[in-house]
Amino acid sequence: MIEFRGAAVRTDDDDARVLLHPLTLTLRERRVSVIGANGSGKSTLLRLINGLLVPSEGAVAVFGEDTRTAGRAVRRAVGFVFTDPLSQLVMPTGREDVELSLRARRLPATERRARADGVLRRFGLEHLADRSIYDLSGGERQILALAVVLAVEPRILVADEPTTLLDLRNDARIRSLIAGLDQQVVFTTHNLDFALESDRTLVVDDGRVVFDGVPADAVARYRDLASAVRDGRR
Amino acid sequence: MRGFGSTLGLYRPGRGCLYRTPPSVKAAASLACAVAVVAWRSPTTTAGVLVLALGALVIGARLSPLRILRMLLPAAPVLGILALYQGIGQGWLRAFTVVGGITACLLAARALTLTTPTQVLLDGMVRLAGPFRAVGADPERFALTLSVMLRSIPYLAGLFVGVREAARARGLERDPRVAVTPLVIGAVAYAHRTGEALAARGLGDDDRDGHDGRHDGHGHLGRRAAGSGIGRDRDPDGP
Repeated sequence: MIEFRGAAVRTDDDDARVLLHPLTLTLRERRVSVIGANGSGKSTLLRLINGLLVPSEGAVAVFGEDTRTAGRAVRRAVGFVFTDPLSQLVMPTGREDVELSLRARRLPATERRARADGVLRRFGLEHLADRSIYDLSGGERQILALAVVLAVEPRILVADEPTTLLDLRNDARIRSLIAGLDQQVVFTTHNLDFALESDRTLVVDDGRVVFDGVPADAVARYRDLASAVRDGRR
Repeated sequence: MRGFGSTLGLYRPGRGCLYRTPPSVKAAASLACAVAVVAWRSPTTTAGVLVLALGALVIGARLSPLRILRMLLPAAPVLGILALYQGIGQGWLRAFTVVGGITACLLAARALTLTTPTQVLLDGMVRLAGPFRAVGADPERFALTLSVMLRSIPYLAGLFVGVREAARARGLERDPRVAVTPLVIGAVAYAHRTGEALAARGLGDDDRDGHDGRHDGHGHLGRRAAGSGIGRDRDPDGP
């Protein structure tokens, strides 16, 4: 369960620009999507969930733990997948990157290696385990990025546009993979079909959540916003 | 990027006795090469160490001489300039001693990183830094820092090549600002991204803030991120 309690984010430079206006809501649904225009504040909202950002005012809590005062516990509970997997993968090969994730668990080396192999098998990546991450296709990299985050079994997965850089086939692979996860998943996307697969959708516009509800209605609202821009009404 | 990855320090799975040799032995041998080259500065020592390092890569790691040459290619301009400088100033034998010694050390270090998985190196570094735990050091963090540094070298080398090609494509290769500015910005952005990726995965979180997982509350990356408007940076599209 994720709670936003009047959480707002501002830059702390002179103009104190608001990136996210005060937001109060609770996310309990298994699949929550966040849609909105480029630069609307979607990523800022997502970053608050695992403590990558702490709110300038208000608070964000995950399973009751405040991201400001219990950052470590929150990060253990919330895995974060970036848009570009190359931003996420920091080791030369997939096996090593999965092992890097497992280091946080302080496991003995042999157990860590065995678990890493298990994770790679689970995601169908065992044949790519020792290949350089630069030799993988975009889809393989994104699946690997998911695998390294899920290796430590977080209770919540947060994914920032996980399919944006992918072709149609890999887009479908990632969506089906995410659909099969036991974890609560919160994701941003520009793919409205993907958003429609969720249980609840937030529409973010200019740093505000302007709609919160059923995905079909949210998508309609988002289309209205886009039409307003096209027609010069906004 | 790939080429630099194989040149400057990344593990490549393979067969050969070096892959089965304990990392501590390989590290000690690599260190011994450096000590020998520095302590006994002579053409004979350099030649001996060079033969040993080449032998280790050809026999121990089963690399072809061509691949070894390719590994040295990115360092060739610097080694070439150094050789010229030493050769003209102090004689060609001296140039061989210095440049050959550096090459031998590079190859010896490469033999270690090429044949040892990064995680095994990390484990070794954690053990090595273990005694410093007594004075408050965190060996895991120390090892992680070193491995991230190791991983950054090929990335930055690849970035340099990319920036140079982009400048050439625009006909601006003679303007040093065109090469240096994006390189510096790219390096800072890379450091930022890597830090964020590690923070998002909880790697490098301070263990000393209690077993209940709480820390002092002043925010790791979060506070810095809010301050620097990272929400903007990381969204591929803007704020």
